[in-house]
Amino acid sequence: MTTLEVRDLTKTFHRHRAVDGVSFTLTPGRTVALVGESGSGKSTIARMIARLVRPTSGEITLTGQDGAPVARRAYRDHVQMIFQDPFASLNPFHTVEHHLARPLLLHGRSRAEVPHLLERVSLSPDLARRRPHELSGGQRQRVAIARALAPGAKVIIADEPVSMLDVSIRLGVLKLLDRLQREEDLAVLYITHDLATARHFSDEVLVMHRGRIVERGPGDDVLLRPRDPYTRQLAAAAPDPEARFRQGGQP
Amino acid sequence: MTWSGKLRAGLLLAGLIVLFGLVGPLLTGDPATIRDVGLTPPGDGHLLGTTITGQDVLAQLAHATRGSLWIGLLVGVMATVLSGVFGIVGAYAGGAVDEAFSLFSNVMLVIPGLPLVIVVAGFVPADQRGTWTISLVLAITGWAAAARVLRAQTLSLRNRDYVAAARVSGEKTWRVICVEILPNLLPILASQFVFAVVLAILSEAGLSFLGLGAADSSTLGTMLYYAQNGFALQREAWWWFVPPGLVIALFGGALSLVNFSIDEIINPALRERVRRGRDVVATTPVVAPADEDVVLTVSDLNVVYQGATPVHAVKDVSLTLRRGEILGLAGESGCGKTTLAYAVNRLHRPPAEVTSGSVVFDGVDVLALGPEELRRFRWVRLSMVFQGAMNSLNPVTPISAQLQDVLRTHRPSMTATDRAARCAEVLRLVGVDRARLGSYPHELSGGMRQRVMIAMALLLEPQVMIMDEPTTALDVLVQREILNEIKRLRDELRFAVVFITHDLPLLLELSDRIAVMREGEVVEYATAEEMYLRPRHPYTRQLLASFPSLTGERGALIR
Amino acid sequence: MGYHLRKVAFYLAALWAAVTLNFVIPRLLPGNPVDILMAKLQQRGGSVDPAARQAYETLLGTGGRESFAQEYLAYLGNLLRGDLGVSVSAFPAKVSDVIGDSLPWTIVLVGLATLISFVLGVGLGALVGWKRGTWLDALVPATTMLSAVPYFWLALILVALLSSGLGWFPLNGGYDVVLDPGWNPEFLGSALYHGILPALTIVLSSVGGWLLGMRNMMVSAMSEDYVLTARAKGLTGSRVMIRYAARNAVLPSVAGFAISLGFVVSGSIVTEQVFSYPGIGSKLLQAVQNNDYALMQGIFLVITIAVLGANLVVDLLYGLIDARTRDRSTVS
Repeated sequence: MTTLEVRDLTKTFHRHRAVDGVSFTLTPGRTVALVGESGSGKSTIARMIARLVRPTSGEITLTGQDGAPVARRAYRDHVQMIFQDPFASLNPFHTVEHHLARPLLLHGRSRAEVPHLLERVSLSPDLARRRPHELSGGQRQRVAIARALAPGAKVIIADEPVSMLDVSIRLGVLKLLDRLQREEDLAVLYITHDLATARHFSDEVLVMHRGRIVERGPGDDVLLRPRDPYTRQLAAAAPDPEARFRQGGQP
Repeated sequence: MTWSGKLRAGLLLAGLIVLFGLVGPLLTGDPATIRDVGLTPPGDGHLLGTTITGQDVLAQLAHATRGSLWIGLLVGVMATVLSGVFGIVGAYAGGAVDEAFSLFSNVMLVIPGLPLVIVVAGFVPADQRGTWTISLVLAITGWAAAARVLRAQTLSLRNRDYVAAARVSGEKTWRVICVEILPNLLPILASQFVFAVVLAILSEAGLSFLGLGAADSSTLGTMLYYAQNGFALQREAWWWFVPPGLVIALFGGALSLVNFSIDEIINPALRERVRRGRDVVATTPVVAPADEDVVLTVSDLNVVYQGATPVHAVKDVSLTLRRGEILGLAGESGCGKTTLAYAVNRLHRPPAEVTSGSVVFDGVDVLALGPEELRRFRWVRLSMVFQGAMNSLNPVTPISAQLQDVLRTHRPSMTATDRAARCAEVLRLVGVDRARLGSYPHELSGGMRQRVMIAMALLLEPQVMIMDEPTTALDVLVQREILNEIKRLRDELRFAVVFITHDLPLLLELSDRIAVMREGEVVEYATAEEMYLRPRHPYTRQLLASFPSLTGERGALIR
Repeated sequence: MGYHLRKVAFYLAALWAAVTLNFVIPRLLPGNPVDILMAKLQQRGGSVDPAARQAYETLLGTGGRESFAQEYLAYLGNLLRGDLGVSVSAFPAKVSDVIGDSLPWTIVLVGLATLISFVLGVGLGALVGWKRGTWLDALVPATTMLSAVPYFWLALILVALLSSGLGWFPLNGGYDVVLDPGWNPEFLGSALYHGILPALTIVLSSVGGWLLGMRNMMVSAMSEDYVLTARAKGLTGSRVMIRYAARNAVLPSVAGFAISLGFVVSGSIVTEQVFSYPGIGSKLLQAVQNNDYALMQGIFLVITIAVLGANLVVDLLYGLIDARTRDRSTVS
């Protein structure tokens, strides 16, 4: 059971508390959605878990399958991240092959696994030779997901993985993540500003506001019956055509 | 990468000069040999004539070219390495290292180079001034500008997500710099190298001309020095004086051409060919429709991006906008919705061209307006709000100047007091404090900037406002406020809105009617209610199925 | 720290660096400048007493008799008193007097030429960028070719064609030598007449850099949303071009002023030499040729101070034309 526990995580930038005492746990086979507006601190949490940003205080502990804490050195074998913008997260200079082979090699695997990785994210192995600009947005994000899977990671941090994609392919990518989570027993942190997908694609929703978690619980509870005033505001602000036509007497 | 004509011409010319420097000395013989009485004009024996002491100018030119190129290469390599160390490494390391490196580069940059070189050359006794000494001094005084460029670029690259992704996958720092960052810096490194080479050749020529060059070398500069001291120009021996300078100029010019092409690779905006397209398509104005209720009619409009393979961005689009109506235009990126919006106001630029169709605005054929009529039409009848309010406001002038501009242009008779009052009035309408009039765009939040844009669009009380993704870049709460504002203002002021977005649920909630666009075509055009309850086109259904419902059953979609 | 304070501090640091460089160079490089100077001084009939020797040693190094720190302090002390030593090539004139006589010529010539070149280059660049796709495009390669020509070569060709050939301009000098320098119309007219060709050389050689930079930024600015908005607002073409596109496009040219100014100053030293112009560039070369180290160092310092000063002024100006800089520097 590879679990990641975040306790009292705090990050201060220039005396401004971007993240303020945040705690949660990611366990295999479950998706936790972290919801908030821009500047709420959710991306900073992702970057701290991915060890791109050093926390000011608090702890991030990773427990391996054997129940013992994972050594620092092996951390990145287990925890990987998917970035928001697939146009920026793939190096325009390198092929898809490079993007997948490097993490494989770095974590003691063979580059022969590249075709298999591509298949796992429902892409044709032929794409390996292409460069990012020859791929569509959806294909790029699938490559980015494959890259995160390459080291054999069991904890995946997905930072707004679909917000830069065209609407008609967003659900496809989210469903792929959902399938991988179930099939491979991954622990997923899904970071988003979109309440509807947060509700549909998670087991637990955390609502962030100004660096703090203001409300947490199962998606239906948090978003259909919000208790916190901020969550209530958020839920009321999302466009909701159903309400308009329900009022009009339609089913 | 396509090899533009400029790049080919530049490389060819530079290549010829390099070849001349490499092979020339082997063919022309010893430049010091005295061949005749001197100052023979170009002719049979000597292609470029002889010097005052009877040496062959061509032979001297070949050796001098080799000498200059060698120094150019030495300095180019050294300066590029120095700028790389101080620019790239510093920027990647960040923190105190970056601060120190950057301060050092900037200091080196502002201390004038050639005077420093002259002073150094002045202190070194002439017999110890060798090629390497001179090259080293030129490199040390010439790397700083390149370091600044490289630093800026590296700072931007190191914050790219692919660098973060490489770190997350466990790459070592040196590998991140060499494999992930450096290849993307290659165009800039190449352009800085080329620039350093040209600068070195020019500076060395200057030094040698002043008699301060390397004692052991013969370069184009030393050649000019001897020509000048032999009074070549006064004796009208142009064949002695002109060629060395010309070689420098041609080589510099050739490398500038190469740099132009590199610039175009780095900045695609410079690359696109500009054709001055036809501006007006309609020559006979379309007769106004009888329907008084309709303010804007678009009929069978076609917009094509003319290029090697023309792209048909808008295909036979017909829409009508009634007074006070909110028309939603939905579609994904590249579907032509923005191109359509721009074409309505004739804001599209070459290579985009309206090939057929008509746009009639309240009885006026927009496509037939002359340039001045068009200018008077814009904003008065139809105003626009663009996606990035961040970028729609001029960053260097205060809000008030940008609001006033509109009034000054379209209401020249208005007094300054009235103008100021009107600006304050529209800000009040969108709920922005008038004290903000003096603010610069960067001092306002994203939502505030978008409110200012809407206020600006209201200034002249236009009949139609086109809004292109006005809330996409905003957070949900701010988006909600802006949408409520738009609805309220529409109800108060009765203008019509064309609201463009990819967010179909938003349009279903906001609009009276909706047009769904795909690949340049309107695939479905219906009232919002009709579209929500009975979507007919498969693409509309697909779009609706892309949005999970917030409040419906778990797993349910909007539709 | 405020933007202005930061800038002033930076230029003070740069000034300190230049002063220190000036101190270190003669001490690190081979050769024995003090002995050479003393020999020269003797030739010119100057006093070779220990005091004169000590003055030069303060400037150029004692050869290890005093510690580095002691020498440095003495050197800084002299600088603060404005004492740059005695020139041997213009003996017994003080270095500061020699510089005082020649500096105004250079400041007026280079200053005016740079200003003209900047205004012309930026103006034309804006126009070329705005009217892309017309015949104006040809200006870019033409002026760039001119920037690749060595200043002195262009100057000599211009002299050969316009002065020797057509007789339009004087061959060299800063004024007609029969006139006495002074604030009278004849003299000023003569100085102006003599300055045209050197200035033309500097302008021709440097205008291409400004033009290209401005044109490229103009093209980028024209694809910005605020220019699109300005067009949609129905503003007149000239207003959109000047107030929206060019106003933003000029910022990098101003920010990059330091780099360009360096080139101009370097080029004008050689240009002055070609025209035997009575400015500081000619004096510098004269000093180098005569091993007049004190004068050489003094001139380098003065040129550096002038360049730093000009850059400081431009940087402060930049703070005025771009409000963002003032706020940004308070954060970072």
